[in-house]
Amino acid sequence: MASNERPQRGTLGDRLYDAAFQNRLWRSIFRSGYPNTPRNQMLAVATNVFLHLHPTRIHRTHVKITHTFCLGGLSFFLFLGLTISGVLLMFYYVPSVDRAYQDILALETDVRFGQLMRNMHRWMAHGMVLTVIMHMMRVFYTGAYKPPREFNWVIGVVLLVLTLLLSFTGYLLPWDQLALWAITVGTNMVGSAPLLGEPNRFVLVGGYQVGQAALIRFYTLHVIGLPLVAAVFMMVHFWRIRRDGGLARPL
Amino acid sequence: MTTAAPENTSEPISKAVRGRKSRAREEELLVWPDLVFIEFICAVLFTVLILILAVLVDSVLLDRANPAITPNPSKAPWYFLNLQELLLHMHPALAGVIVPTVALIALGAIPYFDASNEGQGEWLSTPRAWLNLWVGAFVGFFGTLLLILYDASKHVVLFEMIANGTLSPQAPPTPSAEQYAAALQARGDAIPAGLQEIVNGSNPVLSATDTVPSEFYSQGIWNGASGYTAWPDSLEFLTTLRGIQTGIPWPEWTKSVPLGNLLRTDLFGFPRIELNIDISALIVEQIIPVTAMIGLPVLLAVVASKTGIAQSKRDHMIMQFSGFIAVYVILTIIGTYFRGVGLELEPYTIFSHG
Ligand code: HEM
Repeated sequence: MASNERPQRGTLGDRLYDAAFQNRLWRSIFRSGYPNTPRNQMLAVATNVFLHLHPTRIHRTHVKITHTFCLGGLSFFLFLGLTISGVLLMFYYVPSVDRAYQDILALETDVRFGQLMRNMHRWMAHGMVLTVIMHMMRVFYTGAYKPPREFNWVIGVVLLVLTLLLSFTGYLLPWDQLALWAITVGTNMVGSAPLLGEPNRFVLVGGYQVGQAALIRFYTLHVIGLPLVAAVFMMVHFWRIRRDGGLARPL
Repeated sequence: MTTAAPENTSEPISKAVRGRKSRAREEELLVWPDLVFIEFICAVLFTVLILILAVLVDSVLLDRANPAITPNPSKAPWYFLNLQELLLHMHPALAGVIVPTVALIALGAIPYFDASNEGQGEWLSTPRAWLNLWVGAFVGFFGTLLLILYDASKHVVLFEMIANGTLSPQAPPTPSAEQYAAALQARGDAIPAGLQEIVNGSNPVLSATDTVPSEFYSQGIWNGASGYTAWPDSLEFLTTLRGIQTGIPWPEWTKSVPLGNLLRTDLFGFPRIELNIDISALIVEQIIPVTAMIGLPVLLAVVASKTGIAQSKRDHMIMQFSGFIAVYVILTIIGTYFRGVGLELEPYTIFSHG
């Protein structure tokens, strides 16, 4: 593979470099050498399952921070951060009306870094709503929704709704007064729709009042249902960016 | 993928995809290191930022949920406070479901309305882009603000401020029976017998210095007598949106119009509609809000094209989208910071949503 690019001069640095990046262990993990030549740099991106979300080359204007402000990437980053901190929170939380509030209290007082983890999860959640909205604005104002990217914009709108729903379902989980009443106000809005409103509210809340049934529904949606759906839509979103020829450029 | 698109078709899609063929290699950078490095820095920066925020600011945890105690005000999460704000001004079905649904569909449909390639891939690069952004944002923001202030009767306060030359207009306090009778006399009005009795001291319960009983009292007359200019009673229906319902003597029949008698669905084999309509409520809660929400943006678009501010589809799109974002922002700000007890409009309420 890249062995023909191996430096020929045998300085100490080169020998150390060879030992580090040309050995069997490294090669078993990364198929290419250390990405210090254009060829290896492209291989690094193309052969890595995570990096290959990217193309190997990108137009220079798209690398400028002020083109995207990293907002889509940040939304995704926050989604990942929320998943990690959320999993940690799940270790300590039981979605039961009798325990939920106690669990959050215990998390804040008894669990090492519990309060920090809860804070991070909450700030990232608020942050993600903001970055997704701002990402949408950046896409709009750069005219990046135009053909052939119409459908990716639609997928984006679905992602926006999913982001709001993820945040909304999480809001109930601490089971404090803020949670209960915010969700009561929110679900009552759903109930006010003509014809299907009340049945929908009933299904969402699992009864006439926000109680145990609502808590378990919101919990399930929050920790598994919606994240899965959102992940699928993100996959499609990223796939479409590649298929549509990378980020939008003036024609 | 679509590289095999025939050269002679002129559909926008194939044109857009063909456009990419002209990509110039020298204009491109390698993703590793140029992009991956930026992403890495961004991620590190944000991790640090969130960590600092999480160390400094704790998330709120109020008392344990108690269905028996409704906090006042009860608010939805901040990103839904715009809808909750709408709820105060129109029918709940509109504010809670129909408006957000229509808004989301319209949002998703943007690329299908504006499918030109104008201004693609660059920040606000079309000729009038910034102008349209600011006009849309300005009109959306302040237009909505004015409507909210109207619904909180702030124009009434403003009117009384100007008419009375004071910054804190206050209607004169309710007078005693004696004072009120004197005011009636000064106007040349007859003093009602019951009031006369009180003033004479022949009423067993009330004396002349007690507050005038409401059955004899008219705020308007007393305002006039004390030299206070209040919002005219005849314009009561212009104090709030709801005033159209409460400030106009709607005939009795309008309060319950049986829809089933008008739309005879039973004649077509469907169940009869069991719905009684209050016409004034319908006007206030549905017809006016819907007309405003559709009419005002359309009006803006018409004015913008007549004045040449918005000429292309992209111009209109920028204006409407900016207006939409501005409305979302102002509604959220008002709902979050300026709605206090009973969701009354208040000068400033501390944000209580962690
Ligand atoms: C969970 C939410 C979302 C995530 C994680 C996400 C992620 C991304 C990423 C990483 C990009 C690459 C460029 C960039 O960073 O700006 C992108 C591009 C794009 N996004 Fe999103 N996005 C989300 C929501 C949305 C929304 C709400 C919309 C619009 C309504 C949208 C529409 C688009 C479009 C059209 C592009 C292509 C932009 C271009 O070609 O310049 N996305 N998205």
